[in-house]
Amino acid sequence: MANNATKSVKSKGNKGLSYTKFGYLFIAPFVVVYCLFSLYPLITTFWYSGANMTSTTANFWGFENKEVYYDEFLDLTAAYGDSFEDTVGIEKKEYMKIRNFFLAQDAANLYKPLDEKGIVALQDALSQGLLDGVSADTAAKVNQAISEKNLFYIDSTAMSELKAWKSGYADDTLTITNQLSKISSSLELIANPEVSEEEGEETETITANDIIESESFSEFISSLESEEIEPSTQMLINYLAEYVGKDSLTDYFNSVKAGEISLEDPSFYYVCYNLNSPKGTDAEGNSISGFAVPFIKDVQTYLSAECWPNTIKSLSTFSQFNEYASGKINLHENESQLLDDLTLLYEAGLINNVNLIEKDGKLVPEENKETNILYAMQKYIEEKYESNVTLQRVAMQISQIEAYTGNQGRSLLVGTGYENIDSYISFNGELDVQKYIQFKNELGFADLLTYERYEELDAAYREKKVTEAQAALDEANALLPEVQAKYDAAVGTDGEKAANEELKKVTGEIAKQEGKIKNPKGLLTQVNAKSEYIFVGADNFKKIFTDKTRFNTVVGSFYNTAILWIMGVIPQMLLALILSAWFTDTKIKLKGLSLMKALMYLPNVITAVTIAIFFRRIFAYSTGAAQSPSQQILHMFGKTEGYNFFESAWATRWIIAFINFWMWYGNTMITLIAGISSISESLYESAQIDGANTFQTYVLITLPLLRPIMLYTVVTSLIGGLQMYDIPQNLNMNPALVNFNGSMIRSTRTILMYINDQAFGTQDLKQVGIASAVSILLFITTTILSIIIFYLMRDKDEAKAAKAKRKAKKEAAV
Amino acid sequence: MDGQTKLRSSSAAKRAYCILVYVVVAFFALLAIIPFVFMFCSATWDSGNIQTSIKLWPNFGNLIGQTKANYNTLAQRSTFKFAVGFKNSMLISGCSTALTVYFSALTAYGLKCYEFKGRKVIFAIIVGVMMVPTAVNITGYYRLMHSMGLLGSKLTLIIPAIAAPNTVFFIKQYLDSSFSIDIVEAARIDGAGEFYTFNRISLPIMIPAIATQAIFSFLGSWNNFFTPSILLNKSENKTLPLMVAELYGDRFTDFGAIYFGLSASVFPVVIVYCFLQRYIISGVAAGGVKE
Repeated sequence: MANNATKSVKSKGNKGLSYTKFGYLFIAPFVVVYCLFSLYPLITTFWYSGANMTSTTANFWGFENKEVYYDEFLDLTAAYGDSFEDTVGIEKKEYMKIRNFFLAQDAANLYKPLDEKGIVALQDALSQGLLDGVSADTAAKVNQAISEKNLFYIDSTAMSELKAWKSGYADDTLTITNQLSKISSSLELIANPEVSEEEGEETETITANDIIESESFSEFISSLESEEIEPSTQMLINYLAEYVGKDSLTDYFNSVKAGEISLEDPSFYYVCYNLNSPKGTDAEGNSISGFAVPFIKDVQTYLSAECWPNTIKSLSTFSQFNEYASGKINLHENESQLLDDLTLLYEAGLINNVNLIEKDGKLVPEENKETNILYAMQKYIEEKYESNVTLQRVAMQISQIEAYTGNQGRSLLVGTGYENIDSYISFNGELDVQKYIQFKNELGFADLLTYERYEELDAAYREKKVTEAQAALDEANALLPEVQAKYDAAVGTDGEKAANEELKKVTGEIAKQEGKIKNPKGLLTQVNAKSEYIFVGADNFKKIFTDKTRFNTVVGSFYNTAILWIMGVIPQMLLALILSAWFTDTKIKLKGLSLMKALMYLPNVITAVTIAIFFRRIFAYSTGAAQSPSQQILHMFGKTEGYNFFESAWATRWIIAFINFWMWYGNTMITLIAGISSISESLYESAQIDGANTFQTYVLITLPLLRPIMLYTVVTSLIGGLQMYDIPQNLNMNPALVNFNGSMIRSTRTILMYINDQAFGTQDLKQVGIASAVSILLFITTTILSIIIFYLMRDKDEAKAAKAKRKAKKEAAV
Repeated sequence: MDGQTKLRSSSAAKRAYCILVYVVVAFFALLAIIPFVFMFCSATWDSGNIQTSIKLWPNFGNLIGQTKANYNTLAQRSTFKFAVGFKNSMLISGCSTALTVYFSALTAYGLKCYEFKGRKVIFAIIVGVMMVPTAVNITGYYRLMHSMGLLGSKLTLIIPAIAAPNTVFFIKQYLDSSFSIDIVEAARIDGAGEFYTFNRISLPIMIPAIATQAIFSFLGSWNNFFTPSILLNKSENKTLPLMVAELYGDRFTDFGAIYFGLSASVFPVVIVYCFLQRYIISGVAAGGVKE
């Protein structure tokens, strides 16, 4: 019995020990996900903050691959020209193999000859014998090439068989999608014109009147009637007149001038464009000559500002053009709408790929699937065309293989005995550094083109540049006294201007050469500038603090954030204090406390973006009759010209601060009420007995006891405030459209907006390094604030006890 | 006599004070909801009407017709697709909330009930990183997602939800205050497995804490703008806030339709808030929100 008991206890103890293992299991998902998705990115952000990274998505290069990086992006033959062999000490013929390798790799990246979907389709088609005229021998070669990832096995006979099949294969889907992708990219540019980076720059706007009333417009109309028009052009004019339904084109342009037809009329641009640069041929096959339209540029500018973006965006299928083009959406889906939209675009002159041909002495649009997308689309719908997906993909893949194997760099390498070059090329879209290094070893370049060698070359190059610049400088200096004397002599005479020009030229030259001597351009300067990861140490941090142009933005963004936060938090705190005092005041006994709390907290749960867009609407400004609510109120108070809030930095800041205040005072109030309720009732009772009034009780009891909670609220609010983004970002979302000037954009740009602009903005060079450095600054700031919170929140008695314990231990040790 | 007037004047002063308090409180309560009233009402008027006068009442004359017309105007715009945005937001917020609360409860429970080595350190780290904003590692995260080929996918916003230090901290606090390990030991004696105990016995006990955290996690994910605006680039994946942000684009000047879009994005939240406000407010009072 007793034995049994001990046994059970023992086994229980063992089991208890084994339970602890479950603890690791339970926290494992959290730890793994946290390390992978938060910690690792944070560490890499640290890493990037020390680099001059200029791309968010580019391949990542470590330090050790700098040499490969130079190999790829520095063409030494271009840098040295004829003196290449003497300077570098490598035969040019040999060196070109490296260049050819990268040409081939670029082609592989671009064409993806071994794209997985494509080769699967190709193999399927071959195994099922779907490709007419392709022999079993070829099929075997293709299969071997795919399995060994070496396209060398597809020799010229096999390739020509594949090509022959491809040229005999016609697929309407492919024809249409190809054209759609072209149209889509050109329309995308018109619909979303790039906002000029120059802040505050106003481009001159052209109005319809400018065009119609210009002299060239009238001249143009009269010249339409001239005698010297070529027969083919006359045919074009007749065609266009018929297109717009007028007797002659002169009539048409006259009615445009008279204002009967507006410039926005779709056919207007169609007429102008086709008249200016027609696409088409007459019966003899000669291309039709156009008729110069002098104001076509203005019409384009005018329409792309006033009319086209709306026209294009109003098309219901426009947003799907890309999906149609890439085959994600079947062309048959919503096909009639697509055709309608294309027709509309054609009639507005925005699709210009329709050829006109002569037929019975008149011009008509050519009915050709290749050149007329409308015709192709019509046929496609009428015939209920279904393409064979496999064959379509095969045709595409064959073109890709063809494009890759035809690449000059690759064929040169294959021609000079590197038949296995494909085994060094990586086909997954990025250079495989290991494979390249193997190839470099095979070439025997491993010791010749090292990192040190590049550095040496760079130093020599700089030295040479300095010597050259010195020579030029000496020459210019020698010239200077003479020119100076000439100028002095010429002052006051007719020749002054010319002499001054000459003097300026020489002094300019001197300054230029001095600059070159000071900062000689090295061989690697250009490459380093565009490299994706070059360690620059603390440069990014230095830059964001010292660089004049960046000072305005980085430190400015911290400053803006702080200003916006302070402007919001002070009224928020004060109001929350007052309201919480009232709500907890037993003398007033406010009714409906929970309702009030619920109402006042409501703004906090609503999406901040929605609120920002809403307030942007409320405070919008326009000069017309249509007015936003704030302007209507101003009108009511007699300020009839209104006030453009978003033009003033401080007005915008106040709006943002107000939104923050409005969204958050409810939250602060609820926290404070909870804090006040936790204060012991007996303190208030004794105060009452002592005869203290409400105010005294509040100042002497509530406030001091509330201080930790207030501090906690302020610090958490500060941490939140540092991440201010949604509201300021959406209040001046598109600077070009609300007439913001340069200072405006900067005056509300917060830290996160700055990070977003630098790393994910629209500019070509993404300043990932700079953005990361700012992120790290933000991280450090929040960490410090978190530590403060941690100290505020820790249990004071426990901390004291721990301290006493440590002290006792220390004493005991002594 | 003297005393009476004094009393009366003091009660008059008190009444005046009370009235002042009521007026101020009513003012701020109105201030909190008037913008939404204005938004909802404007959504029922046509653009022309809104631009000439402020509407604080619905368009009773043509309530359904005009609202529908505004909806149709909005639907014709290719960028704002309410159904798509709503579905995406629902999917992302729903999945990430489920992941957040389940795994946070699991983690907090693991830290509470098993005395393994280093658990104190781990909990201290969790408390330490609680306040670190997700935005600071955005460049690293973006490149990680790029190299994983997940860029533009909803998963980029869902998977990291498994690790939410904030939620772990609050559930752990709840466990510390109102969870007794005896239940677990009793279950063990009855022969229940550890995961069974957690899912069937401990999880139901944690429901109050989990519910509060679920509400805040859902709201946070639903209202999130910064991360999705960087990570989601395809229109079919965009969440509601991203679509709302595009509402005030370029030359789209049908303000009735804009207000309709804004209202549509606010309305579900307001409805849910009406039902859950009690829990939300008690959660805020307990300090359960990160500002």
